[in-house]
Amino acid sequence: MRVPAARLRDVAKRFGRVVALDGVRFDLAQGEVHGLLGENGAGKTTLARVMAGLVSAEGGSMKIGGRAVAFGNAAASRSSGVSMVHQHFSLVPRFTGFENVALFNRDAWSRRGGATAGYRERVEARARELGLDVGLDAPCREMSVGEQQRVEILKALMGETRVLLLDEPTAVLAPQEVEGLFAVLRGLVRSGTGIVLVAHKLDEVLAVADRVTVLRKGKRVLTTDATATSARRLAEAMVGSAFRPDRLADKMYSDFGKMSSGRHDPVVQSGVEASRVVASLTDVTVSSRNLARLRGVSLEVRRGEVVGIAGVEGNGQRELAAVLAGALRPDSGTVNLPDVVGWIPQDRTEEGLVGRFSLAENVAFALHDDPACRTGPWLDWRAIEHRTAALLDEMDVRAEGPRQPAVELSGGNRQKLLAGREFLRSGDLLVAESPTRGLDVKASQAVRSRLARTAGADTLGRPGKPPPGIVLISPDLDEILELADRIAVMVRGRLVPLPPQRRSAAAIGEIMLGTGGTGP
Amino acid sequence: MTVRWGAALRPAGQAAAALVATLAVAAALLAIGGHSPVEAFSALVRGAFGSWNRFASFTLVQATPLLLTGLAVAIAFKAGVWNIGAEGQLYAGALAGVAVAVSFPGAAGASGLWLLPVALLAAAAAGALWAAVPAAMKTRLGVGEVITTLLMNFVALFLAQYLVQGPLQEARGVFNQTDEIPAAAALPSLLPGSRLHAGFLLGVVLAGAAWLYMTRTPGGFRMRAVGASTRAAEASGRFAAQPVTWLAFLVSGALAGLAGWVQVAGVTGRMYEGLSPGWGYTAIAVALLARLNPAAVVPAAVVFGALSAGGGAMQRDAGVPEAWVRGTEALLILAVLAVDRGLEAARRRRG
Amino acid sequence: MAETAVMASFLTAAVGLAVPLALAALGETVSERAGVINIGIEGSVICGALGGALGSLAAGPYVGLAGGATAGCAAALVFAVFAVHLNTDQIITGAAVALGSLGFTGAVFQSRFGATGVALELETVPAWEVPLLSHIPIAGPALFHGAATVYLVYLLVPALWWFLFRTRWGLALRAVGEAPEAAQAAGLPVKATRTLAVLFGGLLGGLAGAHLSLVHTGTFSENMSAGKGFVAIAIVVLGRWDPRGVLAAALFFGCAEALQFALQAMDVDLPYPLLLALPYVLSLAALAGWFGRSRAPAALALPWPKRPG
Repeated sequence: MRVPAARLRDVAKRFGRVVALDGVRFDLAQGEVHGLLGENGAGKTTLARVMAGLVSAEGGSMKIGGRAVAFGNAAASRSSGVSMVHQHFSLVPRFTGFENVALFNRDAWSRRGGATAGYRERVEARARELGLDVGLDAPCREMSVGEQQRVEILKALMGETRVLLLDEPTAVLAPQEVEGLFAVLRGLVRSGTGIVLVAHKLDEVLAVADRVTVLRKGKRVLTTDATATSARRLAEAMVGSAFRPDRLADKMYSDFGKMSSGRHDPVVQSGVEASRVVASLTDVTVSSRNLARLRGVSLEVRRGEVVGIAGVEGNGQRELAAVLAGALRPDSGTVNLPDVVGWIPQDRTEEGLVGRFSLAENVAFALHDDPACRTGPWLDWRAIEHRTAALLDEMDVRAEGPRQPAVELSGGNRQKLLAGREFLRSGDLLVAESPTRGLDVKASQAVRSRLARTAGADTLGRPGKPPPGIVLISPDLDEILELADRIAVMVRGRLVPLPPQRRSAAAIGEIMLGTGGTGP
Repeated sequence: MTVRWGAALRPAGQAAAALVATLAVAAALLAIGGHSPVEAFSALVRGAFGSWNRFASFTLVQATPLLLTGLAVAIAFKAGVWNIGAEGQLYAGALAGVAVAVSFPGAAGASGLWLLPVALLAAAAAGALWAAVPAAMKTRLGVGEVITTLLMNFVALFLAQYLVQGPLQEARGVFNQTDEIPAAAALPSLLPGSRLHAGFLLGVVLAGAAWLYMTRTPGGFRMRAVGASTRAAEASGRFAAQPVTWLAFLVSGALAGLAGWVQVAGVTGRMYEGLSPGWGYTAIAVALLARLNPAAVVPAAVVFGALSAGGGAMQRDAGVPEAWVRGTEALLILAVLAVDRGLEAARRRRG
Repeated sequence: MAETAVMASFLTAAVGLAVPLALAALGETVSERAGVINIGIEGSVICGALGGALGSLAAGPYVGLAGGATAGCAAALVFAVFAVHLNTDQIITGAAVALGSLGFTGAVFQSRFGATGVALELETVPAWEVPLLSHIPIAGPALFHGAATVYLVYLLVPALWWFLFRTRWGLALRAVGEAPEAAQAAGLPVKATRTLAVLFGGLLGGLAGAHLSLVHTGTFSENMSAGKGFVAIAIVVLGRWDPRGVLAAALFFGCAEALQFALQAMDVDLPYPLLLALPYVLSLAALAGWFGRSRAPAALALPWPKRPG
């Protein structure tokens, strides 16, 4: 029997109180593509980073090519033949493809620092051999994301590679590019390289992987041959239970207005239906880096309803949120938005809170124009601090008080504060992107119930204001099913409505996999 | 808002720590240089605080231009505008003020009361104009203000040279300086018998106003927000950063411009080539010691005024070169930075 | 004949004025290519001028050049400790180093030589004449009859260009200045690279200062750097972070400054302060034009590692 490319035993890793890996066992054979599946936070990326030596583990052992390798030593991992292609590429944007390859590979240079003669030809030959279509002379920032990824792969494969780790490689690719990538991977395994494919798109993993391992909450729950399983079984392993029956089918619903399917259900009757439309998108298209992110999306949001947008991440959700928040102007289509939009962005560190501002000052981002927080020309800090204190209490933010700098809060508490602030913002529309990601159960529950109450007639914290319409964007199906009045699924830049009578995780899953619904 | 004493005292403690560290390093350097630190410091303190009149006529008078330029830098930095050009804006303001004042040599008495405010306005406008060039280049063309404000300093210096040698040169034509400004344009004395002029009071009032604006108004909040993070301001605050940046440039330039004219109208009475010994640069140290808080710029400017007033006494009485004081100012900036980083590192360890 | 003499002396003056600017700007180019803007280079220049003077007094002009380089390096070391290792703001730190250097050099100078007003006389670096080339009419004496620092510039421009764009270390240095995260992922020591780049910049800044005291004037006076380091920073932008462009921009400034002497020699009565301001105005115009959009290293002046909010 051949030596396994990688062999991990009892790997354990914590981040603070969060257990990321809980005694994980993982084997990678030579010449196989091994899919590593799991929900967000299941530990799949952490496991890959442990193999790459980028994250140290607290317990367990790791052998690469039969030799023990210490944890947390990136150089040791690399020299034993592990290369990782990150989700966010580590390319120098202004360098050409060749320069990026050369920067990473010692072989490209003579001992005196000059270029190795013939290295360029070796890179070209390797690219041909791998079937990687890469422009070596263009600056990487002028390349499409797919081409950048090919540079990254080429860079990783110029040295001797036993183990290639790909972290969500398809998340950024167009469908045709995914096909190209898989062709490269199939060629690569023939030469004996073991490939770990970290992913959460089931159909893609099944299309290319020889074996699949599923992680859930830091534990390995399943390892199986790809031919011996199905997307449904894998999905069940990921979420930890069989898809439930349509328990919420009787929930209030209504149609999606002029959505891409163009369907309209005239029989729907509810309080929601009667109320005013607060935001609408008509045939909105957004593309970036030669890739269509939103393709003809239409959506109406009415006062007092929660519209749930499900879907695998990277199918255009972030662009949709940015358009709804007024932060991104679409390439075409019509957008009607209210003046003030609450927005809980996905990228919370960069766009959410200012670390060195106090909590009250961070909340003031939503209140500084609010007449209730002014006295003449002056900001009424007492009122703002009062509202902040109430917010801390309501959202269960663990903090010393409104004057504490935001940087001192833990990630979860920062997130609760951010969510609370956006609830406070006196707008007619609230866009919430994965508002409970990274929160523990209790905190998630607090955020969810706040969402539900905001959408209802409850006007706590917004005295005298009618409720806003809420767009909830989340890959967490339970969250969507629990909260949303209407559901649609983002698939490759299109918004596919979920027929109300088919309201279930299974139905959503089928649309996500492209096998059900009205289709893109 | 109630004054946040806890939060207000923390930066004061940091500034004090930086001062102590600076004095320690400075004392060591003095000793290495063969001077007695005790003798030098006591000469410095005597020179700056020796008598009420010394304090008013030297320390506070020296503090006045530093107060105004320090405010200029503090507001700009707080808004994320790296204005290194207070020196040039100061010259622009002085030139404009003088140009207005000497155009009305006869202005005096009650009928000339308008001249001082007009000259003040002209100085502020000229300073703002000088800052508008880098502002436009930053907001419209994306050219960094560090280089452009620096370059504008040189342009202002040479322009001042040219004007006091040429168009604005005194009628006698002997020295490279302007005519004396008319009495109506001069700033009144603040304390009879001392050289302290109303410019200091103006600075204190403006510092108070700036503090109120930055901490208590929505506009000031927006300025601080843009300074903290343009992206956070636009994503969380939903307002455009560019007008805020413009305002910061203009206000900063106007304050620095006032500093130049106030020095002429309160102290020298004339404009000449070397009006400023680098106040526009020392202002960076002042603003930093004040932790970019406009109210704290007042004591910070007095500290630097004392250093500068005491420097002369130190040279006379202890034989320590006056230039040494400028070195110490730089030490103070580094000490503030080091204390800052130290606290941040400590916080990270705790968190 | 008179015209050629004027032309020749104009060119000589221009080259002489351009050399310290070119040296400081070449040093700053390396530092900025590594992502560090060091406006403290002004401090390196003035320290270099004093170090050069002290070295020359102690053991002759060549030791003076070495002393200048060392002093320039020392100022840059202070900057690097703060801005690179403590990760303080590069601009404020640079301003402090410039301010402190101007102050302390003045203090040391006064302590050592008193504020007597009598100019210090220094032994200057002798000029080397290149056979044949120095006899080229007009340009010959300007370009090929100068001190060691002039030839150093001739050497440095191609050498630095080669280093930056043709070697592994140059690529690594530029990677550090463009994308420090990516550089670190590639296993490069970001802080060490930046420190070395800053020190090299300080070394050349110090040589620029030594040129001022030991070649250009033969004396030292307080504040004699007179903003040359600041101008060097503008020259780096105008030269588009490329040694060849930097040389051209330095020559442009040298010419503009030399023009006033030439015009005075020709008895043209022009307001010379305005002439002196001209290069700065033209620089601003150039920055506002297509030069401004030229590509600064992407990580220039940004803290690294990134600081939280």
